[in-house]
Amino acid sequence: MADDAARRTAIAAAHDADISLISDELPLRANLSVLENIAIVPQYRENLAYEVAADQAWALLVRLGRTDCAFKRDPDLTSEERFVAKLLRAVIRAPSIIIIDRPALLLPDCHYPPRVQATLDALDDKINECWIVDYPWNEPLYAPR
Amino acid sequence: MPAMDSLIDLLTRRGAALLAWLRGWRRLGRFGATAIVEALTPATYNSATRSVVQKQIYFTAWQILPGFTLFAAVLSYVLIQIVVDTARDYGLAQHALEMSVRILVLEILPLLTALFVGLRSGAAINTEVALMIVHNEMKALEETGVDPMRFEFIPRVIGGVISVVALTAVASALALVLAYVAVYGFQFFSLPEFNRVVGNVFDPPAIALLWAKVFAFGLAVTVIPISEGLAAPADKLFFVPISVLRGMVRLFFVLMLVEVISLALKYI
Repeated sequence: MADDAARRTAIAAAHDADISLISDELPLRANLSVLENIAIVPQYRENLAYEVAADQAWALLVRLGRTDCAFKRDPDLTSEERFVAKLLRAVIRAPSIIIIDRPALLLPDCHYPPRVQATLDALDDKINECWIVDYPWNEPLYAPR
Repeated sequence: MPAMDSLIDLLTRRGAALLAWLRGWRRLGRFGATAIVEALTPATYNSATRSVVQKQIYFTAWQILPGFTLFAAVLSYVLIQIVVDTARDYGLAQHALEMSVRILVLEILPLLTALFVGLRSGAAINTEVALMIVHNEMKALEETGVDPMRFEFIPRVIGGVISVVALTAVASALALVLAYVAVYGFQFFSLPEFNRVVGNVFDPPAIALLWAKVFAFGLAVTVIPISEGLAAPADKLFFVPISVLRGMVRLFFVLMLVEVISLALKYI
């Protein structure tokens, strides 16, 4: 939990190559589908054939039960689908830390803490460490730790 | 001294506009140089960038091929007929073929192809890049470890150059066939004469200059729109049409400049 200055300091670390940031301010590539947005990361970084990278992306979407949005582009996505796409784009890179910046902005229409937690639980073996950066006044929304 | 103040104000504004204009050219030069270096760097080419190059060639050249070929054929045939008829009227029929080839293949078709690609794909690229900047997509790509320069921009430049060269080649080959038909009719007996005339037109310096010009056109129709798009400020959606307008004006100016330089090198 952090005020805005502390939040900015926390996410500034995300510029480290081994940290992935998921934020409302970092959109999906508009001319690519969800599947392509996820697959492009291993395709570019590991020089994989598109089919291989797309298989990896598809497997992650299957795991979250979100294959229905695989071929949609950003403007056609619900906020939940968009969040999943951004999360998987980060997860497929296998960073040491994933930072989710202000999930309320990413999931504005639902009680987001349990939804975020459920999604992270489904990807438990794929995520090394995940930090959620949120404002102090949202603390009561999260389960006690 | 209100008159002096307004003069200073005018000069300040003009000076600022001139500096912004010069900065635009510097930015363009820098991006063009980077694009050439990156395009010649083997590390640029991986599975992802190759697929963007393929898509760019598909959208820039393949998708428009039937319509462009038809347009080039009609225009070429009309211009060849005008040149042939005029040459006959002035008793210069023996030069009709050479004039047609020089006008069409060396001058008009390369310029027309570049204008066609520039207006269609250049404007689209300029808009897309400006929107990428406005919507912060560049930064998002960088955050995922994908270099936007290598993934988004260089493949577009490579695809654009290949497309302009390929479309110019198609239009030129078609123009040569049409010129043969217009001058000699539907028969093959005049092929040796045709080959001799075409060989005279396409001497090594002419071929080298044509290649250089078409390559410069290909670079211009992608490098200028991308460079202008990259200059769009983040979060300012209203700037996108201004960016496209500036890109298209600069592109037109550069295409004309390349054409004038090539004419000067050839004929002066």
